[in-house]
Amino acid sequence: MNQHVKNVTPEATDLSRRSFLVGTAATGLVLGYAGVPGIGEALAAAPANFEPSVWYAIAPDGLVTVTCGKADMGQHIASTMAQIVCEELGAKWSDMRVNLASNDPKFNDPVLGAQITGGSWSTMMNFDAMSRAGAAGRMALTEGAAASMGVPAGELTVRDSMIVHAKSKKQMSFADVVKSGKATKTFTADELKAIKLKTPDQYTMIGVSVPQIDIPSKTNGTAKYGMDVMIPGMAYGAVVTPPVRYGATVKSVDYSDAKKVPGFIKAVTLDDKTQTTTGWVVAVANTYANAKKAAAALKVSYDGGPNAKLSSQSLLDEAKRLQKLDDSGQFFVKDGDPAAALGTAAKVLEAEYTTSINIHAPMEPMNATAEFKGDILHIYSGNQFATRSGAIAAGAAGIDPKFVVMHQMWLGGGFGRRLDADMMVPAVQAAKAVGKPVKVIYTRENDMTMDFSRPLTYQKVKAGVDGDGKLVALSHDVVSAWPTQRWGIPDFLSPSVDKKGPLDAFTVNGSDFFYTVPNHNVRAIKNEMAHNATPSGQLRSVAPGWTFWAVESMIDEIAAATGKDPAQFRISLLDGAGKNDGGAQRLRNTLLAAMGLAGYGTKKLPKGEGMGVACVSSQERATASWTACVAHVAVAPSGEVTVKKLTVATDVGTQVHPDNIRAQVEGAALWGLSLAMYEKATLKDGGIEQTNFDGYRPLRMSQMPEVAVAVIANGEKATGVGEPAVTVVAPAIGNAIFNASGARVRALPITAEAVKGAMKA
Amino acid sequence: MPTLTINGRSMSVDAANDTPLLWAIREQLQMTGTKFGCGAGLCGACTVHVNGEAVRSCQTMVGDVAGKKITTIEGLSAKGDHPLQKAWIAEQVPQCGYCQSGQIMQAASLLAKNSNPTKEEVVAHMDGNLCRCMTYSRIQKAIMRAATEMRTASAAGNERRPT
Repeated sequence: MNQHVKNVTPEATDLSRRSFLVGTAATGLVLGYAGVPGIGEALAAAPANFEPSVWYAIAPDGLVTVTCGKADMGQHIASTMAQIVCEELGAKWSDMRVNLASNDPKFNDPVLGAQITGGSWSTMMNFDAMSRAGAAGRMALTEGAAASMGVPAGELTVRDSMIVHAKSKKQMSFADVVKSGKATKTFTADELKAIKLKTPDQYTMIGVSVPQIDIPSKTNGTAKYGMDVMIPGMAYGAVVTPPVRYGATVKSVDYSDAKKVPGFIKAVTLDDKTQTTTGWVVAVANTYANAKKAAAALKVSYDGGPNAKLSSQSLLDEAKRLQKLDDSGQFFVKDGDPAAALGTAAKVLEAEYTTSINIHAPMEPMNATAEFKGDILHIYSGNQFATRSGAIAAGAAGIDPKFVVMHQMWLGGGFGRRLDADMMVPAVQAAKAVGKPVKVIYTRENDMTMDFSRPLTYQKVKAGVDGDGKLVALSHDVVSAWPTQRWGIPDFLSPSVDKKGPLDAFTVNGSDFFYTVPNHNVRAIKNEMAHNATPSGQLRSVAPGWTFWAVESMIDEIAAATGKDPAQFRISLLDGAGKNDGGAQRLRNTLLAAMGLAGYGTKKLPKGEGMGVACVSSQERATASWTACVAHVAVAPSGEVTVKKLTVATDVGTQVHPDNIRAQVEGAALWGLSLAMYEKATLKDGGIEQTNFDGYRPLRMSQMPEVAVAVIANGEKATGVGEPAVTVVAPAIGNAIFNASGARVRALPITAEAVKGAMKA
Repeated sequence: MPTLTINGRSMSVDAANDTPLLWAIREQLQMTGTKFGCGAGLCGACTVHVNGEAVRSCQTMVGDVAGKKITTIEGLSAKGDHPLQKAWIAEQVPQCGYCQSGQIMQAASLLAKNSNPTKEEVVAHMDGNLCRCMTYSRIQKAIMRAATEMRTASAAGNERRPT
């Protein structure tokens, strides 16, 4: 089980970390950053503002600005946070504004205790804190208004930024109360916890598809991304990266041609003590076009290092070797005795599943702008993990992390890529070397070949079925690079069941499913060779992107081997016994909803067409959004697969913004399709072979099938929606291909060749 | 120093003739709505109009567009109220939003010539523009919505026209 994310309840919310003191002047809340040039001005609101909590301020004009501590990469999380605050505060939606937080620890996630955005965690983990912040503000404003009006606070109602006393027909706007200076109530952490929040039947904002605050700026070119940062006097950096993904060193650099490039300032060979990069050089010039010319003119010779001969095949061979060893890896799940149960099973199935290296490739290539001002290093970049990235930037600069101020920008796509901070290293070292602010921009080629990719994975699954066709044992080995161990943060690792030391649960999450299987083990095996040669990252949904590919394919294989309908077989396994109580039933219901919407089993499909199902939870059992997919495909005799329709159902508990949920689920499902059918990266001679969108090909408009989405909101707590639909699609397609053609595919991405090869002659 | 006609204004840029138009627009003129995505004409994020045609500004050199009429997202409409921009908001198209300037400029060049496109024509015209958030279905809906608005406005204009 994953240890860093336990059941998320309001009680788990660490309110003691937060400053919710109503009426406290902003300048008093700047914590360790007080007195730091720049940050003070950036964070301190005008004294006349009413700042009920660190999360928002109300200006004398009545505008409410919510500061979002989460990276907004298109999931509209800033707008979502504003919506949750707005519900309890009683503000008018058109009065709401958003602001992106700096790395001041006061903006840390109330549950995670750091600034990190991922895991589809944000709404679930911040819902309570934002609700209480909003409610505290409403109460303070109400008391202030009551004092001004000379009426009991209990007789006032709040709606649309107006506080109304119905009896006397007196009313004050939020702006009036802020201007009066009478909103001064303070709350202790215990008082905040004691606030009675609205019940869902009282909601007027939650569940409404309000216009997203950030969208207009994304239709007229005014939204500012890291790429768009302009600082007076800044120079531009273009990086020269080695042909080997990781481990190369620079032997020598010949600057002679680069010096002839107009505007060239300097080339800097990185000295990266954070070991985020190896063998990089950054060329600095007055414009980016000149920096690129200079980078191209540099003649760099390398020592390729220990990984220079490795290929995808070497990584796969090594994975297979490791899996065969009895003492490899650590156990993530160990229920019952799978070895014994497999020994006595009536039928044993065994299969290998693989996934390729995959690249994030957000549309905005990696970039960062670094500026030294006095003792302070300012970093401007869209980033998902300010807490760690600030430390990497500090490491690159050789300074204490407390002197780094991270200025958050809108992210031109994240998908996990911007959890990393590699782009800050050349920016910082270039800025230091040339004594000017420097904006470093990766070319798409840099971005693709130096991605912290989704690792190549190899999984071996053995399943045992008894004489009645009941699944009695499942043994599952997962071999991969370990993306989260790479961070070097012990809190993000999980103890192994067999007490062989911590493991990276971000490689096996999802395999601890909600099916009842009495004998079940999961072994997490680190592929050290892959880990070193292809430093891996967290790609949208992380481990469930491969673990459910194996599990949900194998469940289908078992159903086929025992002559059962694959959907009904799943339903029988989702019996809610023991630890699966609650979750299993929700997943079963979601599967049924998807089946209903898709018309699964209700119509005879033409020859060569088929439907397949899959059902998944989220990254962790404790953060599940229950998600199921029915894929409808057509398979040609050539093996060519056409995905005709994807039907996805998801149980999110509570919908904050229904339209946004549909947008996220649809985008996630299409990501799943793209990874299942189109995206593949390969390693050769230690380097990633695909360098741009001609070699690495995410889904385009013409490849989009019909997508139907059903959202189940049953009043349980709100859960995340950015990821689960990514993971459910590939196995649903694989299972549909089997249903249509009898061909079982076990490698992602799925190719026509593999399908044809797997067809029965 | 080449002079460019951008969004109806004449501006000189301190850039060599072989500088991609994209970087001249972004850095010299500090109009950052036009985005860098791939540098190879494969993604469409940098799409602008040159004499009304959608082109990839990363593949267009400054020296080749002197004297031509260049339009960027900033110049598509006076107040961000081109029918496509309004439709993009109505359909809540953008997620991360990074590709959307390019998507809108690409779509605008289609609707300028054909205000009643079929779905197939939309897909064929838009297929070179990548959206990594996969907002494709909303992009299609927004284009159709804008096309309808443009046809309605044009019909209304025709009615008012004296015979």
